[in-house]
Amino acid sequence: MRVYRDDQKFLTFRINALLWAIVAIFVFLAGSFWFVQGVQAEKYRNLSDANALRPVAMPAKRGLILDREGKKILADNQPAYSLTLDRVVMRPIVKSDKTHRGKLVSFLATSLGTTPQDIEARFEKGKVIPFARPIPVAEDLTMSQVASIQAESLSFPELNVEPVQRRNYPYGTLASHAIGFIGEVSERDLIQHKELKPGDLIGKRGVELMYDEYLRGKDGTQFWEYDSHGRRLAEVRTARQDPVAGSNVYLTVDFDLQRRAEQYFVENEFVGAVVALDPRNGEVLAMVSSPEFNPNVFSKRFTPDTWKVISSNPFKTELNRAIQGLYSPGSVFKTTMAVAGLAEGAIGPGTTFDCPGSAVFFGRRFRDWRRQGHGVVSVTTALKVSCDIFFYNVGARLGVDKISEWAHNLGFGEISKIDLDGEKAGIVPSTEWAAKKQHRKWYPSETISVAIGQGPLIVTPLQTAVMMATIANGGTIYRPHVVRMIERQKPDGSMERLQVASEVLRKVRIPDTAWKTVTNGLWKVVNEEGGTGGNARVAGLDIAGKTGTAQVIAQSGWFSTAGLPFMQRDHAWFVSYAEKENPQMVVAVFVEHAGQHGGTDAAPLAKLLYESRFKGQIENAALDLNNPDTLEAIREGKLPVPGQEKKAPPAPANSNFGH
Amino acid sequence: MPRARALSALDINFIGTAIAITAIGCMLIYSATYFTDPSLNLLLKQVLWIAIGIALMLLFMLVDYHVFFEIAPVLYGIGNVLLVYLLIWGKVTAHVKSWIHIGSFQFQPSEFMKIFTALMLARYFDRQESAYMNTRSFLRAMAIIALPVGLIIVEPDFGTAATFFPLVAVAMFFGGIRWKVWVVAAIVLVIALPVGWTLLHQYQKDRVITFLNPDRDPKIAIGSGGIHGKGFRQGTQAKLEYLPARHTDFIFAVLGEEWGFIGVMIVLGLYLFLIIQALNFARNARDRGGTFLAICLISFFIFHVLINVSMQIGILPTTGIPLPLISYGGSSTMMFLIAIGLMANVDMRRFGHV
Repeated sequence: MRVYRDDQKFLTFRINALLWAIVAIFVFLAGSFWFVQGVQAEKYRNLSDANALRPVAMPAKRGLILDREGKKILADNQPAYSLTLDRVVMRPIVKSDKTHRGKLVSFLATSLGTTPQDIEARFEKGKVIPFARPIPVAEDLTMSQVASIQAESLSFPELNVEPVQRRNYPYGTLASHAIGFIGEVSERDLIQHKELKPGDLIGKRGVELMYDEYLRGKDGTQFWEYDSHGRRLAEVRTARQDPVAGSNVYLTVDFDLQRRAEQYFVENEFVGAVVALDPRNGEVLAMVSSPEFNPNVFSKRFTPDTWKVISSNPFKTELNRAIQGLYSPGSVFKTTMAVAGLAEGAIGPGTTFDCPGSAVFFGRRFRDWRRQGHGVVSVTTALKVSCDIFFYNVGARLGVDKISEWAHNLGFGEISKIDLDGEKAGIVPSTEWAAKKQHRKWYPSETISVAIGQGPLIVTPLQTAVMMATIANGGTIYRPHVVRMIERQKPDGSMERLQVASEVLRKVRIPDTAWKTVTNGLWKVVNEEGGTGGNARVAGLDIAGKTGTAQVIAQSGWFSTAGLPFMQRDHAWFVSYAEKENPQMVVAVFVEHAGQHGGTDAAPLAKLLYESRFKGQIENAALDLNNPDTLEAIREGKLPVPGQEKKAPPAPANSNFGH
Repeated sequence: MPRARALSALDINFIGTAIAITAIGCMLIYSATYFTDPSLNLLLKQVLWIAIGIALMLLFMLVDYHVFFEIAPVLYGIGNVLLVYLLIWGKVTAHVKSWIHIGSFQFQPSEFMKIFTALMLARYFDRQESAYMNTRSFLRAMAIIALPVGLIIVEPDFGTAATFFPLVAVAMFFGGIRWKVWVVAAIVLVIALPVGWTLLHQYQKDRVITFLNPDRDPKIAIGSGGIHGKGFRQGTQAKLEYLPARHTDFIFAVLGEEWGFIGVMIVLGLYLFLIIQALNFARNARDRGGTFLAICLISFFIFHVLINVSMQIGILPTTGIPLPLISYGGSSTMMFLIAIGLMANVDMRRFGHV
């Protein structure tokens, strides 16, 4: 009841002061909230989403790789189970339980049947992967492994067994060098492809590598709500980005031709290569490099030594001999020499040389492969019997630079630009090459060796096929390619097929008489008695080709290298096309260190491939039963019985020398 | 006992504002707990405490506050005895003996001690002759605060002890102390605070200031609410348990996330309205005792609201200070409702004894 005026004024003043101070603070607070909720709302909304939503990758299905008809699937995806570890879930558990990590490692080692060190190494490998993404721990789990891991899912919630698609090659080694394989991205891949993340898979070789951007597709993302304990709650459906499946790739490879060629190499235990080309467009109908490898082993992540095993193989399994193997073409190169000599006017269709078995050029004696010689021969006969002396003379007349020019014209000494990785260009020597690369003078006597495909000249089997295709089609160099078509899904779900167009790299002008003379000679190689390629002969089919035997060691006499150690034996070649008047297929067969001549080891395979390719035509010819001659021929065994599978005749020992 | 005249002077707006805030509090507690506590135990408990609190509020409103001044020494004495009892027989809960367990219920005598100390202090100022205090009377006022604060510090519950600070501020600001005392008090404070801080154990420091994990920053919840908020029950940060102490200390972040800037403004507006009315009550009180009682009690509100809201968006470091009438907690809710009743009491009786 004591009220003092002074006191009242004093209190009122201070109460008002407090009131306005509080109003001011509230205005400041309101401003602060406006800043956080109005101005910076977007930033915090993103942080909030990042807190609550975590992306889960939905891997895109990799496209299939099919044969040219699309009837055989050469690469597909197989369901498999992978084990991943989510470090976001693991972190809080390890924080509260120091022994957890040790328990996890020993559990994984036991259930995966490996060592704790190996598990640690896998963890270490996963460190490059962003923290929020799970790291792969194991692949291709067996059902019992899946069961044992899922039984412990409460103790180890950071482990996830995930159904995945594993790359699978149903035919194993079939066309393995062309198809290639896939593997985990390397650091270099990551720099080149910004859209990839560590741990992703990418094509490493062959079509898998070259057409990776089509095959790969686009990974999708699911967004899952996670609570702060790392528990997955529910998917936010509206945020989902569906994966886009990779496109299917149709090879130009003909399944039957490919398999037949591979079987031939396996049955004969040959090392070598085969290229079958369509001379009308550059499509690769078959491409074999023997021995082959099984690309399935690369689809697994945790086999780091696989590549070592394969690359330490003495037969160089990893090498695609068809495009990376460099060999002397031997007598196959006489085809180029004949074209060059005729086109340059160094010889005419009627020009003849005497072949006594050996001759002297530039002070050195050069031997023919046949000790007794071939007598007087023209260019067509020289091709047919593979006379060395004739082409020594052509080489001496042309000189190395003209030879080099024509070798380049027909595709040697440069890459063919095939759609595969690692193609080699080879070497076509010339005086310029000697000066630039070897820093020496070119000796004219070397030209004589080059004239029969020896010396520094080295080529790939594919280049010989390109040369033969160019001669077959009259001078057009197509870019060889192994992919025929890409089938991709459009956004509306329908399929769209993109044909790979044939590409003409350039045209070579081959004079008509030269072309006629050479193709005539090539036809005689196969079809006339005494031709070196008789083993490729198919009744009813006009096959033209050239054999070749490339020396690996210097020889000082006339003898067969079949008995020598493998690495010293001669290489065998047979490069051909059919039909002569309507070329549809070129086949280049190369057998490394065969020891026998090209006509013996290489030509029979060409015959098999032509029989397969022209099956209908051959049968029709044989079925011309109105012709009494045909019936007579069948009766005498000169023509195959219709419908009966034919085998290559066994190579007659020493009776049919082929070059 | 109240008569019709006193009742007719009751400010319905004030009580209504307080009840509205408790109602909003219940909705927010629901939003913050329904997913971890589907049986809604926490919400029902809070509702029960609010009911008890409202009963206590009516009691402390209807009985003339001068009666409370008369019995203040008794209440103050009982409160101190309970604190001493706790020190000797109290169970240690989370390092601290601040809870009295009665059956399954437990309460913190220190919360109620705030009311009793405020009553005691107001009573002291009611009996002061002059608008200005000398050193001696200032020290006496300080002693009234120091006794329970000392007992609470020994518990040792520094967080609750710190919430008595508004009473010190009120005594100094409104008690009318001379500038020499200000200087001395300031020097003591400047020296005592850092020294005291270094003497604390880490867990004690942690109780006063907590450092948050950056991806659990309540700012994320508040900012992501934007202007309109994500809607009732639609908050993700609280629901996914990214927000710590989401039904107690950080319940304001739930508000910011689900109700947005608009919700924040409404609740801040309600608090400001409550404070302005309480200060009006203090200004219009018919005696010094009423003025001081209202100021002491509203100072608790101001202190809690400003500190709690400021720490939500990082203006102040995180402390365990609940939001009045909204944060989950029985003792605190009841204490604030009693304070509301007492402030209304002062207002009702501004025209004199009836």
